[in-house]
Amino acid sequence: MKGMFSVKGISKSFGGLLAVNDVTFHLESGELSSIIGPNGAGKTTLFNLLTGDLKPEAGEILFKDKDITGLPPHRICRMGIGRSFQRTNIFPRLSVFDNVQVAVMSWERKCRNIFLKARNMNKKETEEILDSVGLGDKKGMTAGLLAHGDQRRLEIGIALGSYPELLLLDEPTAGMSPEESNKTVELIQRLAREKDLTLLFIEHDMSVVFGISEKIRVMHLGSIIAEGRLEEIRANDEVQRIYLAEER
Amino acid sequence: MMDPELDRNHTIKTIGGLVAVLLVFLILPLFLPVGWLSLVNEMIILALAACGLNLMLGYAGMVSFGPAGLYAVGAYTTALILYYTEIPFGLALIAGPVSAAIASVIIGWFCVRLTHVYFALLTLAFAQIIHTIVFEWYGFTKGDDGIVGIRVPAFLDSITNYYYFSLIIVCICLALMWMIVNSPFGKILQALRENPERTKFIGIHVRLYQLSAFVISSFFLGAAGSLFCGFNKNVFPNYAHWMKSTEMLVVCLLGGVYSFLGPVVGSIIYILLDKVISSFTQYWPLVLGLVVLALLLFLKGGIVGFISEKITASRESRGKGERNV
Amino acid sequence: MTLQGLIIQLLSGISTGMVIFLIAVGLSLVFGTLQVLNLAHAAFYMLGAYLCFWISSILSQVTGAFWWALFLAPLGVAIFGGLVEVLLLRRIYDREHLDQYLLTFALILIIGDLCKLAWGVDFNMVPTPWPFNGPVIWGKIIFPRYNLFLILCGPVVFVGLWALIRYTRLGKIIRAMTYNREMANALGTNVPLIYTVVFMLGCWLAGLGGALVSPMSSVMPGMDMVILIECFIIVVIGGLGSLPGAFLGSLIFGLVNAFGILVAPRLAIAFAFILMIIVLIVRPWGLMGKPE
Repeated sequence: MKGMFSVKGISKSFGGLLAVNDVTFHLESGELSSIIGPNGAGKTTLFNLLTGDLKPEAGEILFKDKDITGLPPHRICRMGIGRSFQRTNIFPRLSVFDNVQVAVMSWERKCRNIFLKARNMNKKETEEILDSVGLGDKKGMTAGLLAHGDQRRLEIGIALGSYPELLLLDEPTAGMSPEESNKTVELIQRLAREKDLTLLFIEHDMSVVFGISEKIRVMHLGSIIAEGRLEEIRANDEVQRIYLAEER
Repeated sequence: MMDPELDRNHTIKTIGGLVAVLLVFLILPLFLPVGWLSLVNEMIILALAACGLNLMLGYAGMVSFGPAGLYAVGAYTTALILYYTEIPFGLALIAGPVSAAIASVIIGWFCVRLTHVYFALLTLAFAQIIHTIVFEWYGFTKGDDGIVGIRVPAFLDSITNYYYFSLIIVCICLALMWMIVNSPFGKILQALRENPERTKFIGIHVRLYQLSAFVISSFFLGAAGSLFCGFNKNVFPNYAHWMKSTEMLVVCLLGGVYSFLGPVVGSIIYILLDKVISSFTQYWPLVLGLVVLALLLFLKGGIVGFISEKITASRESRGKGERNV
Repeated sequence: MTLQGLIIQLLSGISTGMVIFLIAVGLSLVFGTLQVLNLAHAAFYMLGAYLCFWISSILSQVTGAFWWALFLAPLGVAIFGGLVEVLLLRRIYDREHLDQYLLTFALILIIGDLCKLAWGVDFNMVPTPWPFNGPVIWGKIIFPRYNLFLILCGPVVFVGLWALIRYTRLGKIIRAMTYNREMANALGTNVPLIYTVVFMLGCWLAGLGGALVSPMSSVMPGMDMVILIECFIIVVIGGLGSLPGAFLGSLIFGLVNAFGILVAPRLAIAFAFILMIIVLIVRPWGLMGKPE
């Protein structure tokens, strides 16, 4: 059976430095998997390539059998791929409600409209998403004033506003305390079940990775050097070497 | 803050306030001498221009150094039509904003491909080109002499009548802008201001929306220009000068760029300050500079921002403070 | 057009270019390091011209009065600039760009009127100093000696700045900050102090430009406005933050202007803007700037 999301031979270099080197992998529908690797391995660059922020120099990306290679981000979003960011990327001066609402309105193609009142548009859908990420009671607050953990959850909420089938999460627990991280992991697991999502994330925090992913891919210097289930990766010598070297 | 009861009260108070303000403007001609009425007329036209600019500036976060260019396109279009043809005033007036919008499609297409300081400088460059064209093309635009004695229909030839005419047009334009700003499109503009990167990823074609904001903004700038052309019954190349652009920017800053009526408040205060201070001293620029400094350092949200902070603070302390961050 | 005429136009273009280089280079430097487009740069230039006029008229009985003024005026402007940076500019570095532009614009208004208050609204003349008064005559070519002096000043200042940036510690820091501010910060440089120093250097350059220009054109209110737009054009064409770019951009501007006047005198000024627009569209970071 063909995978839902297929990346074949993707490469990207910056001024001679090969940041992503001939990466190939497939995601099955409903799969929860992660990409790990030391800093500079090319993980975020890979995400940027998958979401259209960068154009690959070689290779192709297929989503549900459609070639999405080289499409701009706003088109990729419409195809059902959503993304959250490593550094919190919200709309600080807008309210929490507005943050998610704009994503929903955009998805429903209502944004070219200059005649209707936007205030209560898609209120139900927006509130539903806010509730599902646990921010329902904070919908009136200014997003920039939220605590860090809440902002990360809003990140995810905004991504959910585009009703993605595949969600790419870039270090969702970045900067969080252990309890917050656990809560976020639970949240993500619940969301994946409730909304039938396929998840791919970049993570540094091993407990998150091992807690959530069924499949793990390890990246190093732009290539995927190992792929497999948790036990396989743990037992992989090369992976151990890379991580031990990093800890030094 | 999303308490519907409080919301309704707030809305009623706001509408009440607006109606009161409108009434004041309506009855002003009854007791103001024509000199002052003319000043108020200038204020509301400047308010229209500043609000038009603020659509780009405060809502979409696009800092333009060249709004006067499009303002002048509107003014000169109307003036040239009235000077060279027999086309009625109303049509000439409408042609102003329309031509400004058309010009802005071309100018904007180039400008929105850049960001920040480069965007600002490119808008300035285009405005200066417009200024140079108007200044040098003596045969057509009468260059530095400007076009004077523009014909205005008889019923608009009195200061009081043109005042009411301006008031109606400005109110219609403001109502249109209010609608746009509160529409889904308006919210996306604000998202663009807050985080253009993120807006890409929620499915918005950023450049297209920025170009739209630029064009809509220019439409209202052109409208203000045309209206002023009829008010002053003349046009000069300095309508496109970057000093005029800066005046509009200062007005927006003065009133507060993050509120809808900020530029209106700003233009009233600016023109009042200008006339009052100029009557005392020739050093109006010095005073203006000091005022702008004071605003930037102490009153960050402009005057409206400052006032609304005070109102929010007093409302919260009065008994609604239950939420904790 | 005779050969002599062409040579005079060429020299004229080059001297215009060098003059504007002296003024614009400070603007470019400040933008490259501080990331602030200092609209008031032209006002500092004007201040330099006024100070030069003032000092040279006070010292008019002293031989070499102009040269004393040329030495002192830029220092005065630099000190004033330092005060401005510490008291005002520092507060808005992390604010939105619009706030920065408006602050520097406010400075234009304030400095302009302060000059008016101090020295009146009439235009003032600074006599061309010995030994550069009078023309150089070379066959049929007649060219002002002082303009030749200015043509020399351009490369001298360029080389001086280049040496500063290439060989001194300050220069290394400036280069580091232009390329990557966070890195420079992390390396332990005293960023606020560097900002002040660079800003003062920019003002010193502006003041120097003003002082050098003062014998050539009248010192009067409004001289800053004329120059400001031209400075923008140059730093855009050359590349914001690039020293060789400012030099190149100024030369191009001077030559385009000089020959533009031959072709279509009334539209000459538009040529420079069109060039600016083309650069912004095709290569926004300028001929020698770094792409973002």
